[in-house]
Amino acid sequence: MDAAITADSDQLGRDTSPQTLSTQSHVPGGWPIWVGIFSEMTEFAMMFIIYFIAKAHYPELFNDGPTKLNTLAGVLNTLVLLTSSYCVAKSMQAIRRDDTTACVRWLWLAIIAGGTYLLIKTWEYHWNETMGISKDTNTFFTVYYYTTFNHMLHVGWGSAAVLWAIFGVKRGSFTAQSHGGLEAVAVYWHMIDLAWIVIFPLLYVLR
Amino acid sequence: MFTNKSIDSIWIQLMLLTLLSAFIAETADTGLAVIIIVAVTIGYKGRMIVDHFMELIHANRYIRASMRLYFYVIPLMIVLAYLFPEAIVRMTTLQ
Repeated sequence: MDAAITADSDQLGRDTSPQTLSTQSHVPGGWPIWVGIFSEMTEFAMMFIIYFIAKAHYPELFNDGPTKLNTLAGVLNTLVLLTSSYCVAKSMQAIRRDDTTACVRWLWLAIIAGGTYLLIKTWEYHWNETMGISKDTNTFFTVYYYTTFNHMLHVGWGSAAVLWAIFGVKRGSFTAQSHGGLEAVAVYWHMIDLAWIVIFPLLYVLR
Repeated sequence: MFTNKSIDSIWIQLMLLTLLSAFIAETADTGLAVIIIVAVTIGYKGRMIVDHFMELIHANRYIRASMRLYFYVIPLMIVLAYLFPEAIVRMTTLQ
């Protein structure tokens, strides 16, 4: 009986109790969020392919471009996003202990990190402007602005999703036994971090 | 299974690898060795987030395999794009 309940709930992607997590068929957050994640990962993969093609055609621009960017802003944003992912992972551990106070605290820290990312990115764009850099400067900066602005939008609505999750935890919608919605937000947030892990070296490190 | 210690140590590893990338960005001229280091770093960071932050190490095998594959393919593309830029230009130029 118990096994049947677990299996049914698992198929719905709702029951995220430790017993279910130990199975190899568990889908974190449920299938719908993974359709979204794979779509987003494909979108970012297309941007990376455009980067490779543009770099092959304009090697000088792509060798010179990163030296004109604010590396400090790129590094800080990477550290901030990794930390936000860490906070979200900690919030998942907290909800599994049914420690909603800690869960909310970790989620707020994730949002603060997301907000910090947005502030740093805004400052970076402003810094670029003062250095005479815009999307029309050359092909490297067109790729840079298109990719980073697109990613910035993801951080914006990802932060809104984390905020929604906080209210969900406070309302009691997520518990140790049932937190599929929170898990969906968590894996989506990690996807945003994963995209930046590729964007940062492509645009700021490789010359 | 998902201990605090492992998440904490992975976070520190990821932060240190980011600082290593920043050091490379500021000091090294890009050569094949740097490209390989950067590609391996991307692959490792991606794998750690996929396995431990997303917790896919114990999840559905198809999702786990797809996400892991992404972080084999992208680093490989970085190396190939560095080694064979002329081939990319040939393939993407209209005759």
